[in-house]
Amino acid sequence: MLTIKRFAAIPNGADLTGLYRNMAGDYPKFFKMDTACKLGFLLAEQLADEARFVPREDRAVLMFSTHGCLCNDRHYEETVQDFPSPSLFVYTLPNIITGEIAIRNKYEGETSAYVLDRFDPERFCSLIEQAFQDVVTRSAVCGWVECRADDDFTAFAFLVERGGNGKEFNAETIYGTVNQ
Amino acid sequence: MEQLINEIKLKLIDTLNLDGMTPEDIGNDAPLFGDEGLGLDSIDVLELIVLLERNYGIRLANPQEGKKVFQSVAVMADYVAANRTK
Repeated sequence: MLTIKRFAAIPNGADLTGLYRNMAGDYPKFFKMDTACKLGFLLAEQLADEARFVPREDRAVLMFSTHGCLCNDRHYEETVQDFPSPSLFVYTLPNIITGEIAIRNKYEGETSAYVLDRFDPERFCSLIEQAFQDVVTRSAVCGWVECRADDDFTAFAFLVERGGNGKEFNAETIYGTVNQ
Repeated sequence: MEQLINEIKLKLIDTLNLDGMTPEDIGNDAPLFGDEGLGLDSIDVLELIVLLERNYGIRLANPQEGKKVFQSVAVMADYVAANRTK
């Protein structure tokens, strides 16, 4: 059985730089990230437990959205007419969110980014359960990072683990937790 | 020189889209690359080369030269002061 060890959320329109300075402050690469990556990074900081910074293959990182990295794509497109910005280009793939979290925390398990047509707790849950089908994965950072604009987003995440004492991770508890 | 250092910091923030970073966050002698400094990587070198050319008329033809020039903001400022054409 999968359970929820921790839950994290970032209010829409929150000051992400302010949150970074309060929560971490020791990772200057944060400033290079696009807004979607910043959201993923900050969610992972909130979920962090004792099991990070030591390389581990049993923790996966799974991120979901409908917009992918469209917000940064627009910023990159603006630079194309002049000098296409390499530093923006690297954020034009949504799976970089999972990469940034994995690198920061040394989570070396599966990383996957899904672009779905809408937030559906059943499907969200099902895809995460599939990630636990292998024998290696014991826990996963699983987030919904919807970046519609730099100041308009929906961002929440769960630290899910195999076993554990938390609430069972299923569509009902996901829906209930997200809508608290 | 302090004015030039601050100017380069502002241009770094603008050019590399370091949203939310301030000049005070960048130490004059802090390494620009790697986890201990500004966290830049090889992708960003291209942006720095363009920054030097557009703002100071300096063309870096040899990538090896970039390794020395982009050590820190202070080193960049010294190089700009000695080689700028505009």
